[in-house]
Amino acid sequence: MNHSDDTTRILISKQAAQRVAATINRRRFLALGGGAAALAALAACGSSSSSNTNASQNSGGTEPKKFAKNLNMFTWAEYDDPDLLKSWGNISLTIFNSNEEAIQKLVQGGGSSGFDMVVPTGVYIPQLAKAGMLAELDKTRIPNFSNLDPAYANQTWDPGNKYSVCKNWGTTGWIYDTTIVKTEIKTWADFIKVAQTEASGKTSVIDTPPNLAGIYFWANGIDWTTEKTEDLDACAKFMVNEFAQHIKAFDSYPGVNLTTGSYALSQVWNGDARQGLLSVKEAKDDPSRYKWGIGTPVTELWMDNWCILKSAKNVDAAYDFINFILDPANSVKDLNFHGYNTGIKGVDALAADIDFKDMVFFDDAQVATMRSGAVNSAQEKIVKIYSDVKAKAGG
Amino acid sequence: MAATLGAQPRQQRTWLRAPKFLLAIPSFVWYVFLFVVPVCLVIVNSFGRKVTGSPGKVDLSSPSLDRYHEVVSGSFASLLKQTMFTSILGTVLCLLISLPVAYLLAFKVGPKAKTAVLALLMVPFFANFLLRTLAWRIVLQPRGFVSNFLQSGHWFTFGQALRSGPIQILDTRTAVQIAIVYNYLPLMIFPLWVALDRVELHLREASKDLGANRIRTFLQVTLPLAGPGIVAGLILVFVPLSGDYVTAALLGGAKGNMIGAEVANQYFKAQDAASGSAIAVSLIISILLVLGVLATCFWFISKLLKANRAVAVVAR
Repeated sequence: MNHSDDTTRILISKQAAQRVAATINRRRFLALGGGAAALAALAACGSSSSSNTNASQNSGGTEPKKFAKNLNMFTWAEYDDPDLLKSWGNISLTIFNSNEEAIQKLVQGGGSSGFDMVVPTGVYIPQLAKAGMLAELDKTRIPNFSNLDPAYANQTWDPGNKYSVCKNWGTTGWIYDTTIVKTEIKTWADFIKVAQTEASGKTSVIDTPPNLAGIYFWANGIDWTTEKTEDLDACAKFMVNEFAQHIKAFDSYPGVNLTTGSYALSQVWNGDARQGLLSVKEAKDDPSRYKWGIGTPVTELWMDNWCILKSAKNVDAAYDFINFILDPANSVKDLNFHGYNTGIKGVDALAADIDFKDMVFFDDAQVATMRSGAVNSAQEKIVKIYSDVKAKAGG
Repeated sequence: MAATLGAQPRQQRTWLRAPKFLLAIPSFVWYVFLFVVPVCLVIVNSFGRKVTGSPGKVDLSSPSLDRYHEVVSGSFASLLKQTMFTSILGTVLCLLISLPVAYLLAFKVGPKAKTAVLALLMVPFFANFLLRTLAWRIVLQPRGFVSNFLQSGHWFTFGQALRSGPIQILDTRTAVQIAIVYNYLPLMIFPLWVALDRVELHLREASKDLGANRIRTFLQVTLPLAGPGIVAGLILVFVPLSGDYVTAALLGGAKGNMIGAEVANQYFKAQDAASGSAIAVSLIISILLVLGVLATCFWFISKLLKANRAVAVVAR
C-alpha cells in the first residue's frame, strides 16, 4: 500500500459509504466554517478595538471642560480644508450629494445615524427641525458667533439662529471650454441654447432637483420658488422633452473634472468652478481657456449651515469646532480652500490676495440678482421633474 | 477498544445527536430576517403611496397598482429596457470571453501555469471594487493616457478614426458596458472553469475513440457536462449585473444610467419609498422573466443536442 498518499481508503458497503461520506463532508464544512468564523471574529476585534479607544477617550472627559476632539460630520464633498480640520482635531467626514438625500438618511437612521454634525442648506432646516433631528444651539458656548456678519445671521428659515450657524454661502453659474463653445454665454437662456447645440451631449448639470428646475425658471423669468401648476408643468415639459437628451452627466462637482476635459459646458457652483480653475492652473494649463459666468438675469443664493444633531455624542466637541471655525484666521483658510464666502466680518480683507477672488466675493449689483430658494408645496413636482429628466437622459 | 466502544449506550448517543437542520439555522435566520422580510416589505410598500413631508413613510390605507402604472407608462420603462439590454449584452460578452479562458485553464495548461493564471485572475480582487471601477475614469477620460496615445500618431492606420479627437467614451453607455464586463468577468470564469475541470479526461477520450472529432466531442460531451456550470455562471453574472448601479453611477453619466440608480434616486432624492419599491419589484420581475427565457432556451438546446446524437443510448 502506498502510505505517502494521504487519501483515506475505506472498504465498506454501499449504504455505509453514503453515511461516512456525509459525515466527512460535514466535518470539512465545520472546519471551513470554523475558519470563516475565526476570520469574522478577527475582523470584529479590529473594529471593536478601535471603537474602544474612542470610547475611552470620551469617557476620559469626566471633568467638565475636557473632551476628546472627535467629530463625525455629514457634509458635502470638497467642502472643508483637511489641514484645517486636522489642526482642530479628529473629524471623520461622510459625504452626501443633495439635501434630500441627507434628510432621508438622517430621518431613516433615526437617532442612530452616529453623526454629530450636519451641514444642510438653509431652506431645508425647517424640515430637519420639524423631524426632530436638530439640537437647539446654546449661543453662549459659541463666543465667536459675534464674528459673523449680521447680514448672514437671523435668516427667514431659522430666525434667531435657533438651530444653525452660517458655514458659507454661494451662487450658481456656468463654466465652459471656449475651445469648444464659441458662443458667448451671457444668460441662462444662452446656457440652454448652447447646451442644445454646440455643447449637446457634453453638458453637465448640478445633481440636485432645485438646481435642475432652476435653469428653466431663471431663463424664463419665472420665480424659482413658484408653486403654480402651469409653471411647473411647463418646466417639466421643456426639461424632459427638449433638454434631457443633451445632458452628458448629473455632476454636482464638475470642477474636479475640468482638467479631464469631460464636459464642454457645466452648470456649477462658484466655489467648485474656482477649485476647478485652480487645479487647471496647478496642472500648468491655461485657465483662460475656460470661462466662468455668474447666472443672469437671476440666479440662486444658497447658504449652508453648521448644525448639531440631537443624537450627537460629541456635543462639547461640536460646539468647540463651530467656535473654532468662526475665528477669522481659521475662516479665511477654509474660504481659500472651498472658495465660498464664509460671511465672517472682515474675511474679504484677510483674503485679499487669493486667486480668482471675483469668484468668491460679489458686488452689490450681483448679489441683488441672487434669489433664495424655498422648500414648499412644489418640492414633490420639482423632484419628479428631476427623476423624469434623469430617466429620459438615460433611456 | 471494542469494549470501550460497546460501553457507550447506543440509545443515548442517538438522543444526543443534534437534529440535521441545526446547522442550517444561522443561515436560515439570516436569510429570513435580512432578505425575505425586507423583500416582502418592499413588495408591500410598492402598493402604497408616498406621504408628503415625511421621508421614507408609505401610506398603505388604499393599496393600488398606481405605482406600477407609473413605472410602465413613465420614462422608467425605457430605462428598464436599456438596463436589461446592457445586462444581457454584458452577460453574453462575459460568456464569450470566459469560455476560451476557462477551456484553456481546464484542459490546455499545466498545473504550474494553471496556478499562475488563477492567481492573476484573483489579483484584481485585492483592490476594492469601487477603486477598480474608478480607475476606469482615468483610463477612459478624454485627456487620459489612452486618448492621448491614440492621438499621438504612434499608432496603426486603423486608429485614424480615433485620432480625429479625444475619445468620448467616459459618461456613456459604452463605458458602463466595458467596465461591467471587466467587473463581472471573474464571476463567469470561475464557475465555467470548475465545471469544465470536472469533465473527466477519459470521457472525452472515449468520445474520440468512438470516432467523434474535436468539435463533436466539445458539443456533445464537454458542453453538456459543463452545462450546469455555464448556467451557474450566467445567473451569477446576470442577476447582480442587472441591479448594479455603482458602475453606472461612476462611469455612466446621464446616458449610461441604470434602473438601480433610479431606485436609489426614488428613495434618497424623491423621498418616495413607494415608487422606489415599485421600480425595484419591476426589476426583480424583469430578471425573473429573462431567466425564464434563458431556461427555455437551455431546455431547447439540450433537446437539440440530444436529437442530433449520432449514437443512441438505449436504456436497458
